[in-house]
Amino acid sequence: MRKAELVVIGGGPAGMAAAVKARELGIRDIILLERDSHLGGILQQCIHDGFGLHRFGKQLSGCSYAQIFIDEVRKGGIQVECNTMVLDITEEKVIRAANDEKGLMEIQAEVVILAMGCRERTRPQVRILGTRPAGVLTAGAVQRYINMEGWKPGTRAVILGSGDIGLIMARRMTLEGISVEGVYEVMENLGGLRRNKAQCLDDYQIPLHLSTTVVRVHGKRRLEGVTVAKVGADRKPISGTERYIPCDLLVLSVGLIPENELSRKAGIILDAVTKGPVVDDRMMTSIPGIFAAGNVGAVFDLVDYVSQTGEQAAMGAYQYLKEGQKEEAEQEVTAGKNVSFVFPQKFSPGREEKADFYLRVKKTMKNATVRVWCGEKMIYQKKTAFATPPEMVALQVPLAEAQEGPITIDVE
Amino acid sequence: MEKREIDSQMTQLEKEFGIAENSISYEMRDGILILDGNLDNWQLAVDFCHKAVKIPGVRNLVNHIETPERKRPAPVDLEPYKKKGVLASTDVLIIGGGITGCAAARTLSKYDLKILVVEKESDICEGTTKANNGMVHSGYDSKPGSLKALCNVEGNAMYTQWAKELGFHFNRTGSFVCGFNEEDMKTIQRLYENGAKNKVPGIEVIDGRRAREIEPGLSDEIIGALWTPSAGYAEPYEVALALAENAIDNGAEFMLNTVVLGILREGNQAAGVVTEQGVIEAKVIINAAGLYADEIAEMAGDEFYSIHPRRGTLVIFDKENKGKIHTFAGKAPSNYTKGGGPQETPAGTLLWGPSAKEVSDKEDLGVDQDDLDFVIEKGLELTKNISKDTVITYFSGNRAATYQEDFVIENSKVLQGFIHAAGIQSPGFAAAPAIAKRVEKLFLELWPEAPAKQDFNPIRTHKKSFRECPPEEQREMIQKNPAYGKVICRCETVTEGEILDAIHGKIPARTVDAVKRRTRAGMGRCQSGFCGSRVVEILARELGISPNQVTLKGKGSEILKEPTRQGGEQK
Repeated sequence: MRKAELVVIGGGPAGMAAAVKARELGIRDIILLERDSHLGGILQQCIHDGFGLHRFGKQLSGCSYAQIFIDEVRKGGIQVECNTMVLDITEEKVIRAANDEKGLMEIQAEVVILAMGCRERTRPQVRILGTRPAGVLTAGAVQRYINMEGWKPGTRAVILGSGDIGLIMARRMTLEGISVEGVYEVMENLGGLRRNKAQCLDDYQIPLHLSTTVVRVHGKRRLEGVTVAKVGADRKPISGTERYIPCDLLVLSVGLIPENELSRKAGIILDAVTKGPVVDDRMMTSIPGIFAAGNVGAVFDLVDYVSQTGEQAAMGAYQYLKEGQKEEAEQEVTAGKNVSFVFPQKFSPGREEKADFYLRVKKTMKNATVRVWCGEKMIYQKKTAFATPPEMVALQVPLAEAQEGPITIDVE
Repeated sequence: MEKREIDSQMTQLEKEFGIAENSISYEMRDGILILDGNLDNWQLAVDFCHKAVKIPGVRNLVNHIETPERKRPAPVDLEPYKKKGVLASTDVLIIGGGITGCAAARTLSKYDLKILVVEKESDICEGTTKANNGMVHSGYDSKPGSLKALCNVEGNAMYTQWAKELGFHFNRTGSFVCGFNEEDMKTIQRLYENGAKNKVPGIEVIDGRRAREIEPGLSDEIIGALWTPSAGYAEPYEVALALAENAIDNGAEFMLNTVVLGILREGNQAAGVVTEQGVIEAKVIINAAGLYADEIAEMAGDEFYSIHPRRGTLVIFDKENKGKIHTFAGKAPSNYTKGGGPQETPAGTLLWGPSAKEVSDKEDLGVDQDDLDFVIEKGLELTKNISKDTVITYFSGNRAATYQEDFVIENSKVLQGFIHAAGIQSPGFAAAPAIAKRVEKLFLELWPEAPAKQDFNPIRTHKKSFRECPPEEQREMIQKNPAYGKVICRCETVTEGEILDAIHGKIPARTVDAVKRRTRAGMGRCQSGFCGSRVVEILARELGISPNQVTLKGKGSEILKEPTRQGGEQK
């Protein structure tokens, strides 16, 4: 069996950042496994700009952002296996993977970093009724068809979901001559970043319909139209508000879910809210030596943070290799008032000087304060002019004063 | 029965339904009641027919009643199609490539005759079969002496041999009808007696504790159950494909995308069919047209039943539920159909349903809120520890029911050489082997001297799927053909090698759905979000067509429209 110090699963922004950082720290024997034919992950199909503002201080396309890391991976001489699907991982960190060149591979890793990213929620998960014709696709699939394969999957589109991918695709389809009838959002708030609404909808006079959803799909073989309806406070359609819209493409941008098929098979404990592994401030999961980075742990809205968690995981992996098996972090980090989740969910007092935490608020708030509590003691606070669920809040919290109890984070 | 008596019964019925006297006209011919007229809605028409068919002396019923939702189709002028000439000549022509047609083809392929199956869709089992829940019923509930009862118990027993010869997945899991109260237990006792009359092997009534010993996933509220250990589970499309492939191995042929428009006769002898592509000459015609069997019968001049589609919705759950329930569990029944319940498919997928709803359109495969609610609420009541948030998909299929609610398997009394295998609704899948056997018997009445094929081979050879193989075999598979090392569908671990096998198989997969049925690519939790575009690409490459010519399920279901400004190349 092949042995490796570190195996990174997934060659998107999280996995590449992790591999590059690990090499920088001096880990020599690294294998990066990627299921697609090229590195870059979903960034390959993100030809729009807006990537890297935090990290590089400039707006790059997804492809350019990815290329910076691809170059680093090459420079570092990291072993990359593309077209390689990992079939399973055991608790003992044996990875079974397959590709068409090397066949079935078994690798005994000392450390594993999971960086499989996320997948899109689908039509049945939002309970759209009606038939199952061609012409109902997730936004990511439409993006792939248009940006990578060069094919338009429709001529007149309705978009469900105002998350970032939905907004980006509204603009992209318009530029390709697909008429976009409107964007429908079941919630009363925008699902994506405000800048994306301005640049992708407002600039092209594409209407956004809040508190409205697609309830039914029509057409036997090819999509003929959809029925939309207003929803009440319970998010259930209000009878009598239905409207039929003829269209041949329904684009679903209805959320992302961390891709944890492998984690689940390995027996890693998952968080019910983030749907990703529970990790500590070094990004280690419930299985010592298996780390998680990027969207596999929690869905981020900025790639900059994804890369950052990749680097954190690499540092965790480095510490783990250097110090041998460390016990699991014992203290919890919990979501307090107005917070839907905090990532990472655990930490070890006295181990690190500071830790990065990411959280999402439950509702839109102006002039709010983020407060980090360790037991009764407030150890950090930060003011924020505007906090809204689609925009993740990132904090770097000094841990000097967090010596004992669990941490709770509030936003008020 | 006297005309007068039927007159009074019909008048009675009209009163009962609150419709004007003589608004429904009727004709009685050899025990067949033919109804005509207009009614306000389809459900009313169906209910009326279900009552009328019970008038003493009525053997079956033809429904020509029109409602705003359903009009009778206009007759087709066959002449232009006849002019296209003779497309093929065969001894036996089977209309319909569902489970019934495929089973008939395989069974008759042991005779040294030319056998041809025509299917209107782009793949076999595109109709009722593909949305069947795969239950191989034990046969406790059909009316004793009915064709359903006879074929079900016999067919169920034959599945062991079928699975062995044809190499499909089959689990004899057993099944429950669960009771929550004394009222349910009375129904269960009735079902038990019915099942005993039908000679269902091993049938018994057990208490709730014993039921949970057999199936720990059952609800703790269940006080007792009807237990039939002979019930089982298989994938309907896998079985149909296995039958079709074995039939092909034994010389049968299949023509897809071939719509039958008319039946040709010479005197009172069947002579062939007219299709959209031209004429197919045939000596014997078998009507296995499922939802359209009544229309084919009418073309043959032998319309004595009508098919009323009864839609069933199935709900599929994420594989994280694997192992939570193994055995089919239903509830004490109430309607024309017993409806389904939770079960685990041979691939380890949790499946709930189906529901039952009369629909006017044979192609209406929609899912309504009440269908979903019915299936999910019933499943939640019967099980524990399963969250409805883990649903990954749902879809509907239509049962091909007659008003008499029994199978019609007989030689035509008016057209020599024409066999009906119609009205095959639940438990048609379980009964399929016995139905095929009956069709064979009817065929031999028409063609007693049919010569046996000396080299008939009942064994179908096929490759195990990659995910089912132990690592050593997987290694070998990839060594022999690297395409097996390329996983295309993450959720179900389907390799490019398997997709290529499907595309170049005996019944070639020509659509994304056809690939899915053969390989499971796209059936998992991401519902083809990842593999969809890759399957389109592979199909386009292998078929030598542009990606925008690749369809989801046949002509008119193209997935891509046109190239982007700097995009794809049109072939």
